[in-house]
Amino acid sequence: MASAAKRLEAVSDTATPQIAFDGVTLALGGKTIIENLSLGVRPGEFLCIVGASGCGKTTALRLAAGLYQPTGGRVNFDGQPMREPRREIAIVFQDYGKALLPWRTAAGNVSLALEAGGMPTAERPARIEELLRTVGLPGHAGKYPSEMSGGMQQRLQIARCLAQEPKTLLMDEPFGALDAMTRQGLQDEVLSLVAASGATVIFVTHDLDEAIYLGDRVIGLLPHPGRIGIELSVNLPRPRDQLSTREHPEFLRLRRQLFDFIKATEQ
Amino acid sequence: MNRTALIWRVASFAVAAGFIALWQLIANLKLVSPVFLPGPDRAWAALMRGFSSGDLWSKLAGTLEHMAYGWLAASIAGIAIGAIIGSSRTMRTYVAPSLEFLRPLPVSAIIPVAIAMLGLTQAMALFVIAFGAIWPIMLATIHGFAAVEPRLYEVARSLQMSRLAVIFKIALPSASPDILAGMRLSLTVALILSVVCEILAGLDGLGHWVLLSARAFRSADLFAGVILLGVTGYVTSVAMSLAEHRLLAWQASQR
Ligand SMILES: Nc1ncnc2c1ncn2[C@@H]1O[C@H](COP(=O)(O)OP(=O)(O)O)[C@@H](O)[C@H]1O
Ligand SMILES: [Mg+2]
Repeated sequence: MASAAKRLEAVSDTATPQIAFDGVTLALGGKTIIENLSLGVRPGEFLCIVGASGCGKTTALRLAAGLYQPTGGRVNFDGQPMREPRREIAIVFQDYGKALLPWRTAAGNVSLALEAGGMPTAERPARIEELLRTVGLPGHAGKYPSEMSGGMQQRLQIARCLAQEPKTLLMDEPFGALDAMTRQGLQDEVLSLVAASGATVIFVTHDLDEAIYLGDRVIGLLPHPGRIGIELSVNLPRPRDQLSTREHPEFLRLRRQLFDFIKATEQ
Repeated sequence: MNRTALIWRVASFAVAAGFIALWQLIANLKLVSPVFLPGPDRAWAALMRGFSSGDLWSKLAGTLEHMAYGWLAASIAGIAIGAIIGSSRTMRTYVAPSLEFLRPLPVSAIIPVAIAMLGLTQAMALFVIAFGAIWPIMLATIHGFAAVEPRLYEVARSLQMSRLAVIFKIALPSASPDILAGMRLSLTVALILSVVCEILAGLDGLGHWVLLSARAFRSADLFAGVILLGVTGYVTSVAMSLAEHRLLAWQASQR
């Protein structure tokens, strides 16, 4: 009986989305911020969420992280209701300056996640070095966040999230505060990191080009209350390339569609 | 050290030397009776005599002991209570008004109470010193814990950190600049109350030495004791600043 149930679960595992919103409603302080949101994210999928400022993107991501509990409907992770945050789901916050421990060096900040995961002390230094190298911060292990540029701090936060070995990576406008050059570099790095780890990603951005460039699918939210207004599949070849992908006719078509949608919501 | 700092350092030494010279002058001219005011030369001689006979060492040790025990007790209790109150909004709302009522209460007001309950004992001294020194530490800790960046608690939640880990890895280090500043203020309070308790309860220490010297009109010994108290206050405070500087090295680049 037990083994039959297990087998059933294993079969349905491939079919169930890794993260599923099922008629999710969230009210904060008497205000409905998200209403009846249903959404499934397949394992390994790269989903981008766009929408006007204040339409509930961050709130949706916090629901996916388990930092908020829905007031209506359900959020499931691997088919199980999500009651609290879990280490398999890492979240890269928009305000990297606030999300890092200023009293710990870069190595110490990465170590925090390893400590939480119970990695033995002796194994940590090698793993920290590897992670810092992965995000392009080799040789900065001894620096404090305050000694690093915005781009480096965000890389560091990503390294800490990777140290969680997440099944799902949630990113909230991670590059919003960075200059265009740094941003493009980091976009490509995130794509290759994700390709290497096979993680599922929900990436929030207000940059429509960024959403199409990165995503397998783009969802546009409508404000007051937040709900899905448009859903686009991005059938662009991978690996993506900053020049050729952005000139691809499909890219331009999606971009046009998304722009029209956003313009309509702003009226 | 840069140039301006050096000039200030030299100037402050010059002022100190000037005061000592003035003191010597007043003493030499006998503007104040030598019974009450010894010159710096006699005070210095008394200090050396006290040290060579070993009397002053044991008095100094006594005062340092009272101060250290009281301060440590205040630090442990102040940080623990402050952490509990500071990390809960409900606690802050309910307890803070009572603290505001208790805080301005002069510690001298509780000394009779302490004496009535504990007698003229070391325990009474420890209680009074700790009670007086706990306030700056506790209030600073409450403030430090209340001001922890909420985002860091979310990071801790998504890492599924234990309660204990959150306290020791997030809240305490984040509050440490406030806590250490409170501990530095308390150091002075602990020294003052040590002397007061030694005078009142006749406990072995510089306070007692000063009292006995005054009663016997040994003004040079009296001054030696006072000088030693001043030096103690200065040295402990400098040591505390150095410790703060080391512990908060991560802040250096933020300032
Ligand atoms: N804790 C909260 N309490 C009340 N309202 C909130 C809270 N957090 C966000 N909101 C409101 O919810 C709406 C969506 O916020 P948010 O998800 O941050 O939007 P976005 O990330 O798309 O800019 C905004 O109108 C915001 O004012
Ligand atoms: Mg947002």
